[in-house]
Amino acid sequence: MPTETAGNRQNYSEYLLPLALLLAGAAFVVLARNAVFPFVLSAALAYILNPVVKYFEVRGIKRSYAVTGLYLTAGALIFFVIYLLFHFLSVEIESLQQSWPVYAERMQKFMVNLNATLINKYPFAASLKLDEKLAHYLEAVPPFLLGLLPALTLLFVVPFITFFMLLGGAGVIDYLLDHIPAKHAELVLHIASRIDSSLGNYLRGILTEALIIFLIAFSGLLLLNLNYAAFIAILIGISSLVPYLGAIVGAVVSSIVAYFQFAAFMPIMKILIFFAALRFVDDWIIQPYIMKKAVKLNPAVILFSLLAGGELGGIWGVIFSIPVTCVIKEIVQIVVELQETEFRWKPKPEPTRISIPYT
Amino acid sequence: MKLFNLFNSLYDEDILSKLDFLLHIRLFEGIKKRSLIHVLENLQERTYLKGETIFTQGDIGRALFLVFSGKVALSRLDPSTQKSSTVAEVNPGEFFGEMALLEEMPRTATASALEETRVFILFKIKLESLLFARPKIGVVIASQLAKIMSARLRAIIDKA
Repeated sequence: MPTETAGNRQNYSEYLLPLALLLAGAAFVVLARNAVFPFVLSAALAYILNPVVKYFEVRGIKRSYAVTGLYLTAGALIFFVIYLLFHFLSVEIESLQQSWPVYAERMQKFMVNLNATLINKYPFAASLKLDEKLAHYLEAVPPFLLGLLPALTLLFVVPFITFFMLLGGAGVIDYLLDHIPAKHAELVLHIASRIDSSLGNYLRGILTEALIIFLIAFSGLLLLNLNYAAFIAILIGISSLVPYLGAIVGAVVSSIVAYFQFAAFMPIMKILIFFAALRFVDDWIIQPYIMKKAVKLNPAVILFSLLAGGELGGIWGVIFSIPVTCVIKEIVQIVVELQETEFRWKPKPEPTRISIPYT
Repeated sequence: MKLFNLFNSLYDEDILSKLDFLLHIRLFEGIKKRSLIHVLENLQERTYLKGETIFTQGDIGRALFLVFSGKVALSRLDPSTQKSSTVAEVNPGEFFGEMALLEEMPRTATASALEETRVFILFKIKLESLLFARPKIGVVIASQLAKIMSARLRAIIDKA
């Protein structure tokens, strides 16, 4: 059957150019990955913000006005928040400056005491040289903080790129979708919208959750009269983007601060109870409400993807690991369904045999 | 007057005309204009050129197509004679492929654009998410869908 083979050959050759373009693009991204990184972050931010813009767009407001309005509002809000934080933080930084020597001394004394008792009880502990290790860690802190500085430039670059991405809208994607072969359009759009809804729901959900946890933690720590409440609450909010981490980080950091501040057992107990309650509220009230539309991920899967993300891409790998896992899960589900429906691996059964015709 | 112009330039005429269009679609009958915004949010737009096939008989269906402008022909291939005959023509404001919203089963006809056609596509999963996120809208669409299917069934029975 010569005609059929010719048809098949034509089928493959039509995908040659797009595939070459795709490979060239991928190679370029790999070669220039450091330059690409801010754009990936911006694309992620634009993806998260897009529904806000679309909210106004479907209500008839032009995209350019919606984006500008969003940026002005966000700018004003961020300015206000930063002003408030500095108001709180500057007091706290001053108090930290004044009380730091006391804390450092107390910490050192604590470590020396601990070391002494340990060596007293278990002589082999002397070989661990705990005090030297602590000194090593304390020395390592300033370089680590300096290493974070380049990340600060991202704070200015990313919103700038995001603005233009939002302004252009999903133009590029729409162009591509409009130019895929008509016979595949339905399937491709189906897959795209499934990934979009699962990923989008997860991202929006987790960001809302982080904000709520930040607010609860901030007001709770203020009520408990803990020093540096603003700073700790920000830390908790950011770390709660990674599942399970928020409450743990909060509990550990706050109890350390409470130990130095009150030097008593009761406040630490209160703080631990507060974070246990926060975790409970998060698990039983916030998450079921916010994440009800999002993908359900097994805790074991979350842990695995966090570890794998950390191994592949460091801290950014950890942050991106959960969204990527969402996409992978959706893709696996789609592949299984396609195998079942398109290739008749396991065709869906007829819903019900209609036993009584003509009613 | 200047303020009025500014107000006008703020609004996107294109979107407003789409909302007006949706207001007169049978499938969305009973949904308030304000709520139609959420329907529009869940619709995908695409243009098919003259002669392009939108879907083929036997493909797995996953979406309903709503004709915004242009014209679409639905044709069925008779398995015994291997001849294809046009079953219906779909004009602006009408829709086809609604069976895909109920079950992901093979299409029963082939759809192709008779002229340049702009369609809104409503995917099954979008309808499902609409059903859960905005039950008031979802219920209207679901019950309209049931009415349409029942009317089709009645027409077939009458014909037989």
